[in-house]
Amino acid sequence: MGIINFLVYLAIMMAIYGILSLSLNLQYGFTGLANFGQVGFFCLGAYTSTTIVLVFKLPFILGLLGGMLASTLFGYIIAIPTADLKEDYWAIVTLAAAEIIRIFFLNESWVVGGGPYVGGAFGVGGIPQPLRSLFSAYTYPFFYLGIALLCLLVAYLVINSVTRSPFGRVIKSIREGDNLAQAMGKDIRKFRIKVMALGGAFGGLAGCLWAHYHGFISPEQFLPLETFLVWAMVIVGGKGNNKGAILGAVIIMAFYNSTRFLKDYIPIEEVTLASLRMVVIGVLIVAAMLFMKEGLIKEKKTIY
Amino acid sequence: MLRVENLYKSFGGIMALCDVSFRVEPKTITGLIGPNGSGKSTLFNVISGFYKKDKGDIYFEGQKIEALQPFSIALMGIGRTFQISEAPQKMTVMENLLLAPKDQIGEKIVNVFLHPSKIREQNEKDLQKAYEILKLVQLHDLRNEYSGNLSGGQKKLLSLGRILMFDPSLLLLDEPTAGVNPTLIKDLVIAIKKLRDEREKTILLVEHNMKVISEICDKVIVLNFGKKIAEGTPEEIQENEAVLEAYLSGSARQRGANGNS
Repeated sequence: MGIINFLVYLAIMMAIYGILSLSLNLQYGFTGLANFGQVGFFCLGAYTSTTIVLVFKLPFILGLLGGMLASTLFGYIIAIPTADLKEDYWAIVTLAAAEIIRIFFLNESWVVGGGPYVGGAFGVGGIPQPLRSLFSAYTYPFFYLGIALLCLLVAYLVINSVTRSPFGRVIKSIREGDNLAQAMGKDIRKFRIKVMALGGAFGGLAGCLWAHYHGFISPEQFLPLETFLVWAMVIVGGKGNNKGAILGAVIIMAFYNSTRFLKDYIPIEEVTLASLRMVVIGVLIVAAMLFMKEGLIKEKKTIY
Repeated sequence: MLRVENLYKSFGGIMALCDVSFRVEPKTITGLIGPNGSGKSTLFNVISGFYKKDKGDIYFEGQKIEALQPFSIALMGIGRTFQISEAPQKMTVMENLLLAPKDQIGEKIVNVFLHPSKIREQNEKDLQKAYEILKLVQLHDLRNEYSGNLSGGQKKLLSLGRILMFDPSLLLLDEPTAGVNPTLIKDLVIAIKKLRDEREKTILLVEHNMKVISEICDKVIVLNFGKKIAEGTPEEIQENEAVLEAYLSGSARQRGANGNS
């Protein structure tokens, strides 16, 4: 793989995970909702968009919107019965919800329609890439990087406007407990549900981008491990800071992919190296928690 | 204004409130006193909906409120502060005040994108009000400090400032002067009186400082072991046998527990 190709691939991954990280930061960094099922949004977005584009032969943009809508609804629905739960219970419920999504797609192959695709455990292949015919094999990744960056920009602008608004003030006030916001007449259930819905929308968007870039998705790409990768991004980058969330995605993705090159320098089997990736991420999380509690970029203070 | 009738609340075997009834008249300041553990804070928590009552009724301006969520009770016009002040680690003093106003259009996500100028306008108005209140509670210079970094007394002042921003018709103040320095207590007493006299607010407050109680309260309610043992003007209360008994026996017991101090 040429170095340029690799860098473009890496940048696309950074952009996609940047969106996931922004979404988790809205939920955890600003609202204190410990979502351990972030990958559920990712998975649902990917499968919904794939179904819309591949089976129903609709344009990419509708797949994208459909994927976002599905994850938004999913976020909304899981938040309704759980909005009153405390942080640790919330984590368990969301972890389980994401697994339900994954196992659903593991067991259902109705996605296949009539084509040459197989669903279920075999995954779905041949997912069309948007406007692929207009580009050569070499230039297409650059175009896709453009789409991914545009989506990242939209995610950043939307989430940043929301967190800086009076809505953002309320969710920050419920981050450490319910009492204050309730005493100030805020319906905290509603705020939590809205945060999950908005977080879901962008989690789903990241899933769509992932599916149409790789052209192949399968349930094993959406294991809970992915969620913790995104957590590492928020913790290392700086929770409660949207720029930090993106920076975290850039750093974690760089580390995560660095082991590809280490095999040339370190005499360890490739399989072992691949597993070592997660060790590296784990060390980064621990280091950030010990020495940089607020992450690389601290939460921004609003000055009056 | 507020009517509490035969209220009961227990935690396991502890009867925190036992057959408590009283009224709070509009535009008055009512003091709630009693030894530690007598049920004052529990009473606040039940009135504001944070705890569910076991038995009894609570009426606010003629409406039953005990089944409502805390936030709806707050929106009806009952604002409260907490004994241990709520002060988020990563919100500045000013943000705390700006959180309080009701009906903020910017609390809806769509409005953030559809009506940014209206949000700014509203924010500007709230800011003006917040600056005035900050001067009153003497936190003006600390407006950009994270509320989590404030001292205990400053957090009390912040709670008071926040509830003034929230602007309810009935204020439940839980030990508003605890940990506040004596000079500032005098200012607070004046400010609380002004709320009643000039802005026609009704206030129910828990307070241990008897000087404050006798200076500002129109009526005092005394709780002991979850029961109301006396009600009357500050002068009447200070001469009430049952009250003296409750406080003195309490302090005598404490002395016993602490050895010979």
